[in-house]
Amino acid sequence: MKFMKALIYTEWLKMRKYNAFWWIMGITTLSYPGINFIFHFVYQQIVQQQSQTGQMAKILLGNPFSFPEAWHTVAYFSSWFVFIPAVVVIMLITNEYGFKTHRQNIIDGWSRNQFLSSKLIDVMLITLIITLLYSVISFVTGNLNQERLIKSTWEQVHYVGLFALQTFSQLSLAFFIGFLVRKAFIALGIFIFYFFPFEPIIVALLKEYGNDSGRFLPLEISDRLIPRPAFLAKLDEAGYKESLNAIPQHVLYTLLLTGVVWGVCFWVNKRRDLK
Amino acid sequence: MFGILGPNGSGKTTLLGVVMDVLKANSGSFLWFSRHGTSEQRKKIGSLLETPNFYSYMSGSDNLRVTQAISGRGAKIDIDAVLKKVNLYDRRWAPFKSFSLGMKQRLAIAAALLGNPKVMVLDEPTNGLDPVGIAEIRQLIVELREQGHTIIMASHLLDEVEKVCTHAAILKNGHLITTGEVEDIMMDDDDVVEVSAADLNALAAVLSKLGKEIVTDEKNHTVQITLPRGSARLDEINRFCFDNGIVLSQLVLKKKRLEARFFELTNN
Repeated sequence: MKFMKALIYTEWLKMRKYNAFWWIMGITTLSYPGINFIFHFVYQQIVQQQSQTGQMAKILLGNPFSFPEAWHTVAYFSSWFVFIPAVVVIMLITNEYGFKTHRQNIIDGWSRNQFLSSKLIDVMLITLIITLLYSVISFVTGNLNQERLIKSTWEQVHYVGLFALQTFSQLSLAFFIGFLVRKAFIALGIFIFYFFPFEPIIVALLKEYGNDSGRFLPLEISDRLIPRPAFLAKLDEAGYKESLNAIPQHVLYTLLLTGVVWGVCFWVNKRRDLK
Repeated sequence: MFGILGPNGSGKTTLLGVVMDVLKANSGSFLWFSRHGTSEQRKKIGSLLETPNFYSYMSGSDNLRVTQAISGRGAKIDIDAVLKKVNLYDRRWAPFKSFSLGMKQRLAIAAALLGNPKVMVLDEPTNGLDPVGIAEIRQLIVELREQGHTIIMASHLLDEVEKVCTHAAILKNGHLITTGEVEDIMMDDDDVVEVSAADLNALAAVLSKLGKEIVTDEKNHTVQITLPRGSARLDEINRFCFDNGIVLSQLVLKKKRLEARFFELTNN
């Protein structure tokens, strides 16, 4: 525990004066509620129409922003923005290579495993912050849209865990790219290009022509922890249920992939020269 | 105080990189404090390896807090003390990226000094410093040596090693050419004594009775006599010359400069 505290304290010393970190975390804090507010606003615009179409939409869609569905809906929309904290994660590791402080930290007395553990803690802490942010947004959104008192407020609260696992897994992949590539802009370029559009296109193509084998691609593995919310899947109820049933498998795949990613990082870091 | 010498690419920094665990050795082993190297042992060593590596967006003082947090060497109060020692105290809150090369080097030396470690590893410690800075750091290193610190210093500045080191090793292409006390490394096989008098020819004739290798240097108005290593007694030579009617105006046992010895050993 003392060892963990020392690592966290040292990482805090590095982050507290790093303006880019605070700027990007600020953007994250605005973008997560922002995207949910936009979709909520669009939903309100549709269902508040007095026309027959508006009323039909209200019946068909229900209220995805009320409990218990709010946990799922907010998780789904928020997960689109994981690339913003991913920028922070990539910067935190590539900075060490840019400044050559990955060498200095070892010279000063950290073991190679301690250095990487400090970065693992960074990714965990950022995941925790993002998950807390998502949880607050879900809770507030659900309460604001609650028309009557229901017992099922916490029914889908397991999406908090799924969101945390998805965020941690995808931030770990961002870290992995930064760790291997070492150059900030190249790593950012690769991650953003892979995040969008490369993998989504490959997943769509494989869904059509490859027996849906795209579900095993690195980001898609954890993307399927949070399937499309129920209101977006009204036209394909069977597909929606199938995606819900696949969640436990994808929890396992995600844990495996994330474990392998960090395992490779520790293995490589232990063996390579720190230049 | 141990100097590691060698031409560019001889492996000085690589050697220090291996013992500080930033490079992996193909073979061989090393001990710190009579034990195999670990991160806990590195915490006790003040190090400056190659270039100063700090967080550019942080001030000098904040960077030393990171060093202190990782190494556990010294306390917060010691940070100001080492910054004063390297004349950076007035600029302690300026970001590292605004520092000149010399200031960056001073900060790296301050980091190495933090907590007054008994063992220090310094790789080219005067790199990038101006003449005043070089003299100050050299003086600081001498003070540390006199206080009983063990210092391992890699340098290609032979004059620097000759002036401050007690022991040295010379490397070439990753191989150890020689090691030992600096005095011994500089010593040639024989003693060379340089003398001078009003009449050089008479002096050479008298000295030829003491040894066979006599070289007269008209330009510098000296005569050099080579004697077997360790046999040159300056007081006896002086008396011998005086008894033979020669009054000496100069008498010195010439040591080979480390530079000359270095060139000999590395065939450069």
